[in-house]
Amino acid sequence: MNELLSMHDVHVRFQIAAGTVRAVNGVSLGLAVGETLGLVGESGCGKSTLGKAILKLVPVASGKISIEGTDVAPLAGAALAEMRRKVQMIFQDPYGSLNPRSTVARSVAQPLLIAGWKSDAAAARVDTLLGWVGLPADAKQRFPHEFSGGQRQRIGIARALALNPRLIICDEPVSSLDVSVRAQVINLLEDLKARFGVSYLFISHDLSIVEHIADRVAVMYLGYIVEVGARDHIWRNPLHPYTKALLEAAPIANPRLARARKRTVLQGELPSAIDPPAGCPFHSRCPIAEERCKTDKPQLRTMSNGAQVACHFV
Amino acid sequence: MAAAPPTTLEVTGLSTTLFTRGGELKAVDGLSLAVDKGETVALVGESGCGKSLTALSIMRLLPDPPARIVAGAVRLGGRDLVALSERAMLEVRGREIGMIFQDPLSSLNPVATIGRQIAEVLTAHTGLGRTRARDRSLELLEQVGMPDAARRLDAYPHQLSGGMCQRVMIAMAIACNPSVLIADEPTTALDVTVQAQVLTLLKRLQAEQHMAIIFITHDLGVVAETARRVVVMYAGRKVEEADVDDLFERPLHPYTAGLIAATPVPGAERARRLADIPGTVPPLGSLPAGCAFADRCPRVMPRCRREKPQLTSPAPGRLVACFAAEKVPG
Amino acid sequence: MDQSAFLGRFSRNRGALGGAVVILMVASGGLLAPALFPTDPLRIVAAPELWPGQDPALPLGTDSLGRDILAMLVHGARATLLIGLFASAVATIIGVSVGAMAGYFGGWLDEGLMRGAELFQTIPNLIFVLTIVVILGSTLSHIVIAIGIVSWTPIARLTRAEFLALRDREFVQACRAMGMGHGRIILGEILPNALPPVIVLSSLVVAGAILFESAVSFLGLGDPNVASWGRLVGDGRQLIRSAWYISAIPGLAIMVTVLCLNLIGDGLNDALNPKLRDR
Repeated sequence: MNELLSMHDVHVRFQIAAGTVRAVNGVSLGLAVGETLGLVGESGCGKSTLGKAILKLVPVASGKISIEGTDVAPLAGAALAEMRRKVQMIFQDPYGSLNPRSTVARSVAQPLLIAGWKSDAAAARVDTLLGWVGLPADAKQRFPHEFSGGQRQRIGIARALALNPRLIICDEPVSSLDVSVRAQVINLLEDLKARFGVSYLFISHDLSIVEHIADRVAVMYLGYIVEVGARDHIWRNPLHPYTKALLEAAPIANPRLARARKRTVLQGELPSAIDPPAGCPFHSRCPIAEERCKTDKPQLRTMSNGAQVACHFV
Repeated sequence: MAAAPPTTLEVTGLSTTLFTRGGELKAVDGLSLAVDKGETVALVGESGCGKSLTALSIMRLLPDPPARIVAGAVRLGGRDLVALSERAMLEVRGREIGMIFQDPLSSLNPVATIGRQIAEVLTAHTGLGRTRARDRSLELLEQVGMPDAARRLDAYPHQLSGGMCQRVMIAMAIACNPSVLIADEPTTALDVTVQAQVLTLLKRLQAEQHMAIIFITHDLGVVAETARRVVVMYAGRKVEEADVDDLFERPLHPYTAGLIAATPVPGAERARRLADIPGTVPPLGSLPAGCAFADRCPRVMPRCRREKPQLTSPAPGRLVACFAAEKVPG
Repeated sequence: MDQSAFLGRFSRNRGALGGAVVILMVASGGLLAPALFPTDPLRIVAAPELWPGQDPALPLGTDSLGRDILAMLVHGARATLLIGLFASAVATIIGVSVGAMAGYFGGWLDEGLMRGAELFQTIPNLIFVLTIVVILGSTLSHIVIAIGIVSWTPIARLTRAEFLALRDREFVQACRAMGMGHGRIILGEILPNALPPVIVLSSLVVAGAILFESAVSFLGLGDPNVASWGRLVGDGRQLIRSAWYISAIPGLAIMVTVLCLNLIGDGLNDALNPKLRDR
């Protein structure tokens, strides 16, 4: 199987004072080598948590996550370090993702030193990495606060590339950046993919960016996957009511198209993840919900065009 | 300028300077804009362009030190707000101009109930008694579409979601039927489905109350959905102004064109690359002598580095500050 | 970290600058004491209870036994400052270790350590110090340890708060994603970012330590071989009515030193401020 990342029935839960937060509920997804899988959803849908679970930054309550066929859960020591070489992460907040008291050189070299590289080899590699992401050589001795948001994201990308990962999990990498800078970073990510064949799990709430960069898209709601499909299928022929609502709600940067399109604005609010509704998670806001949706949880079914949807009426 | 209906709010040559230890920074430089009843004008720009400071200048809410209005006028209903005393300005804020901010949760008082906060606006400006103010608060919450409004009157901000808090802010802003509403990135912190709800709400309220809205945002999609006219700012100055259709179809300023090209539109041909604008905005403390966009501009000419382009009108209803754009036939 | 920017920000605070200058003078006085006053300050040199100014060779007068107050003051400066610094160091080491463990690991370790801290906080500080000194004996090192044991809790709480905030920052998550071990994260990544407010607090603890030591010596439980300022104040206790200057002069020295340390703390706070910490 050509699967780089394979997730099967993953559940992640947190304990907070008010109860148990069911952040991820039975997610099964696969990502092929060389693919960019977009993971979209609004706040609280569990997409960031899922990304962190892959890297073992949060504990998985049940389910299996495999990288290149190897189950990550039992890994420890050298095997775990090996897995970490293959999967890395880019974070959302350009201001928080770099240690303010470390120079750029130190931050970017960290994964190398932890993996056992000698300091001169690491220094040479840092120079190469900074060149790949388009930063000047003298950036090495400077501190994060001397750089703009976009440049800091580049530093984060350089750090993620250090050990030649096969998969990079991008957790909202451009959401905090200005529009003109976003395009620079997205273009950089695409260039790196073309050059090094790295795969991406691109997590974002911004549909237009995901549409631009992803090959396949998975839509999450309240910890569940509600639809998965090729990019064009999702955008031209969305099947799940939530996917349709998301696409209709997203503003279009073209006034004529915006006026022309038909739109039903989704009412209501996201239910609490501590006490999710029984049955379909979306039934409380769904325009086509019926009685059976309140009790009967729909499973993901594969359609004729290859897309998967979790809805009784598709 | 506009002949028939007098513009509700008119800003002329507004300049706000930040007096810092590092020097004087021209955060807003000679900005002019006008909004009519029932019209929405979008003020667009990226971080640091001065759009939020413009809003604070209009409301006279600038933190002083270090910021101060150094020139210009803001005319509302015949009076110049810049020249008003703070006492007179207290009457204007909340009653004639309402404002909503970006982060709804931190814009509300965490230790006061929603009902009390809305009632406060009413009692301050209209002298309503407590019971009448509470009734009116309930009406306002229902008007802004708050689900289960009666129960929510006694809720605290932390018990509400972001979308609900934003509705509360809107309720407070329109409580006294202001003629102008300034919305400073009101939906940036919200999920996209909630954003759609809030934008629809604002459009409905505008139709009901004929407010003039100044909508500040960096999101071109939101601009396309809500505005009739658009003002684009860069490094403290206005660089383009046009009707929304004209702006998107034929942007005259290279920065506007760059922003539009860098914003993906769904369904478009999947281009190989997103058009990006190289470089970054110059810091206010080291603005170049000529055009501030010169270093990043694909159409830069030698003149651009020597002189600052002034606003010209190459076609009716359009303004642009660019030497390259002046040559384009209207 | 930018050295000149740090000094620049510090000196912008006039009070802090003045405080730093005074402390430097006190410290150099203490260091140069053997050069300035070569004879043993505890030796009797003149008639007892001479007022300041009565004898030009003895500008601050003599105490009840006829010892030179100025000589004792300058020699005592060294003892006083050293006690303050070492006690603060002890408190900081204990406090930072406890706070870092509690803040980083959380859970039952956090609960246990914080309950322990509360235990220390419920015992009245001065009585605790005196008790320890009485049990262990009145030597300088025991006094320093006793004061350190009493002063660590605020530092622990502050460190814990900083660690709690920094632990969830994305750069720490990035380090965990790289496979960095706990120790390296705590010492190499979080601690350097958590230190600035802790440093400010430590400078204030120096002041507090000096006051503690003075109280201990005033009550006669201090190290008999060390003429610290507190001891001088205590010695003049009997003569407060007639020769009050014997207590007042070292008392004034203590007050000025503590004030200046507080001012330095303010200056450090300004200098180590958020600007450097991003956003």
